[in-house]
Amino acid sequence: MTFYHGILNLTGWAGNVILPTLAGLFLAIAVVQFSRGTAYSHTMYGGFMCLMVSGLLRAFETFSSQRTWNDPDLFWVASISFVNWICNVLLPLYAALQVAAGGLQMAGVTNRFQPISWMRHFASAGLCLLLSGLLRLGEFFVTQGTGGVT
Amino acid sequence: MVTPQLLNDVINVLLLLAPPAAFVSLVLAGISLRREGGGISFVIGGGFTKWMFWAVVFVTLQPLLMWFSSFGVPVSLPGGGINSHWLASLQTDVSNFVTNFVVGRLATTLAAYFVLRAILDAAAGGHPLPSVLTAMFLLGIQTTYKLFATYNTGTQNATADVLDSLWTYLAGTIMPIAAGLAIMGAIFNVATQRPALRLAGVALALLSVSALWKLVLAMVA
Repeated sequence: MTFYHGILNLTGWAGNVILPTLAGLFLAIAVVQFSRGTAYSHTMYGGFMCLMVSGLLRAFETFSSQRTWNDPDLFWVASISFVNWICNVLLPLYAALQVAAGGLQMAGVTNRFQPISWMRHFASAGLCLLLSGLLRLGEFFVTQGTGGVT
Repeated sequence: MVTPQLLNDVINVLLLLAPPAAFVSLVLAGISLRREGGGISFVIGGGFTKWMFWAVVFVTLQPLLMWFSSFGVPVSLPGGGINSHWLASLQTDVSNFVTNFVVGRLATTLAAYFVLRAILDAAAGGHPLPSVLTAMFLLGIQTTYKLFATYNTGTQNATADVLDSLWTYLAGTIMPIAAGLAIMGAIFNVATQRPALRLAGVALALLSVSALWKLVLAMVA
């Protein structure tokens, strides 16, 4: 019996057995929350993430193996990879989702479920896709401002 | 002057009792891990680190005595066994007591109690993970001792060598697994609408502990 095997098997059991089981529970809770008109998105996304825990761990391992183990910049590079993944991979997907949601809202399919304007969905999609540009714009303003007020 | 045989026997007994003392220190370290740091963390300078340090000192006791030779104080450790029957039997009894009772039975029972404590922690609104990790630490005491022994270089720096190797083992072997637990915690927090970004950052940090150490070294250079 070793502590190493204990924590390794605990992680495997929690990730491969318990979380996929909890995914069903979270999705069930999300459905109940949806039926009562309360916020359900966290529980729904949590349920899906429970099913993707192995993939998420592999993603984090990839982020933190962009440099050698003894490179002082490894944590910074890993953080930047994480931010890039969120902004360049997940947000465009989220934008597509928001466009679809806006379309359904415009068509009157979902407006009986949630009183959100279709405009908000389309604006969110635009912001998701424009995030890099907005960041560059902010950096441009700051760079311009370093000279001070003349 | 020839050292009296009784004195040699006492020295031999004390040296041979160092491994059982290391085992007892590891049991006490396991209990301290749950008591003071919550089980997933430990306090530097607290009970866990203190008992782990003493366990390492007991494992590396003989190499540590070499420092006295370098100070100019000759330390000639007596060779051979214990001649006094009474002292030999005392040493054997204490060793058997620690190996068979404290480590073989008591630590296992304590681990079982910590598993029960994990359930009660969850019932009280706490987290079961700290108690589970403590139980695993207590169950793995014999292997942890063997790990210490393999890291023992036998030089006068052996104590520091073992502590260095333990840090490397912790950073390179245990922490990447702990990163998986951190990601699971982040997912659970997302589902239950609690802050999750901190645990995502912790997962990245746990996967790059050695690099963070190099970063600190680079900062102070």
